[in-house]
Amino acid sequence: MRTRFLIVDDSELVRKSLRTVLQANPDWEICGEAADGESAVELFKELHPNVVILDFQMPGINGIETASRMSQIAPAVPIVLFTQHASPDLERHAREAGIRSVVSKTNAFPMVGMIEALLGPTNTEWGAGGSAGSTKDLAD
Amino acid sequence: MGDQEQVNILMVDDQPGKLLTYEAILNELGENLIKARSGKEALDHLLRTDIAVVLMDVSMPELDGFELADMIRQHPRFQKIAIIFISAVHLTDLDRLNAYQRGAVDYISVPVVPELLRAKVRVFADLHRKTHQLEMLNRDLRTLSARLLATQDEERRRIARDLHDSIGPLIAALSMNNGMLAQQTKKLGAEVAEVLQQNNQLVEQLSKQTRTISHLLHPPLLDEIGLLPAIKMFAEGFAERSSVKVDVELSPEIGRLPPNVEISVFRVVQECLTNVYRHSGSKTAYIKIAPAQEKLLTVQVCDEGKGMPRTNGAAASPGSNHGVGLSGMRERLRELGGTLEIKSSDKGTTVIAAVPVNKPMVKSV
Ligand SMILES: Nc1ncnc2c1ncn2[C@@H]1O[C@H](COP(=O)(O)OP(=O)(O)O)[C@@H](O)[C@H]1O
Ligand SMILES: [Mg+2]
Repeated sequence: MRTRFLIVDDSELVRKSLRTVLQANPDWEICGEAADGESAVELFKELHPNVVILDFQMPGINGIETASRMSQIAPAVPIVLFTQHASPDLERHAREAGIRSVVSKTNAFPMVGMIEALLGPTNTEWGAGGSAGSTKDLAD
Repeated sequence: MGDQEQVNILMVDDQPGKLLTYEAILNELGENLIKARSGKEALDHLLRTDIAVVLMDVSMPELDGFELADMIRQHPRFQKIAIIFISAVHLTDLDRLNAYQRGAVDYISVPVVPELLRAKVRVFADLHRKTHQLEMLNRDLRTLSARLLATQDEERRRIARDLHDSIGPLIAALSMNNGMLAQQTKKLGAEVAEVLQQNNQLVEQLSKQTRTISHLLHPPLLDEIGLLPAIKMFAEGFAERSSVKVDVELSPEIGRLPPNVEISVFRVVQECLTNVYRHSGSKTAYIKIAPAQEKLLTVQVCDEGKGMPRTNGAAASPGSNHGVGLSGMRERLRELGGTLEIKSSDKGTTVIAAVPVNKPMVKSV
């Protein structure tokens, strides 16, 4: 079965890029997109995604609030916070809200490896640094 | 007097005839003249109206002029009232000294020369009017500067938000595209792979610089997760940029505060650290934010630098510096009903801001 992603970001450009990056993996598909937290929670309930990629700063409730609402509904679903403001403090808050990992938008490169690691033990590309050579070639 | 604002002049004498004489002399000043027949009546007027000048007879039955002056001066609200004594008997220099010590500003003996009395009262009436105008202007300036600070905060918040919303997604998209390309390095020649690698670094620089600008304008975590994480993050960024070692001690029980308090405290810390970097020469800084009393927060920023320059030995007093930083901090704190204290010596500077907060903060054990 393919892994189904819910993408949440108020920027259409970011959603589009995420789509391109994630869909490069034939086992992954985007089941839904939302531009704000409230409607993301609704989609989450409706679509039962396997992974959520979540922006932090959005109109209405922020990513952390959105994540804690989602974790109350289905705590097992991994949520990745995708933000321009990655910092240790934000990570701490994010973890408290049930977020599994925080990925910097400005160095989005390790994200794919992180998600693979989140999804299964066979994937070992956790936090693969930012260097081009160290990440698995998903097109294979 | 034309359109000038009238001031109140209180004339106190137990003899109605004399009050009429003063009235006739002072009428042409165009001010509002109030008559009182006794010290007690005078006090009643003083309590009810804003009096600019009190003209009074020294010798009156019951409460004499000196006693009345004493009573007037004891009241803080009346400290600035001009008191002019009129005395029928000749006073010695000692008597005059006595009068001045009781807060008289002038003294006239009889027979009263109308022009002289008029001139003296006019001076004090004008002074009162000008003082009042200055107080009003000062209050307007305070209001204006508070509004300017708030507008500045709002504007910075907006620009930071715009940066985040417009440039942020572009950088994210670039970064992701580069990531996609990087997965294809096997298919690229070495040179192209090298250019790609450089592009990655450029995107990272672009993002880092945008981030710094945006964070200095408005801390992103402030609104979303609160003051303490925002200060921590700012201090980390500051330490990295300035190579000043920053220790931060924040009491977690403070929690979230009203937005205007959070932004003001953040700006105080930001200005203080900027000063440490620009002026102190210190290699270290220490920030402490903790509850001082149940509903009072203290924000402390210390350095081990060379201290403030001692101009007139009053570096710590208001108005003694021309920088915007410290004055801005003072204005912010005044708005919040707080205070700012500066201790500075050649061993370093400590800025302590006390901020009242509207919720009890229980110290955790
Ligand atoms: N931590 C400090 N150490 C030494 N001098 C300081 C410090 N903070 C402020 N000063 C002195 O006080 C002055 C006023 O500071 P400020 O109001 O922030 O204005 P500005 O930083 O623009 O000069 C500075 O010019 C500097 O001389
Ligand atoms: Mg300054």
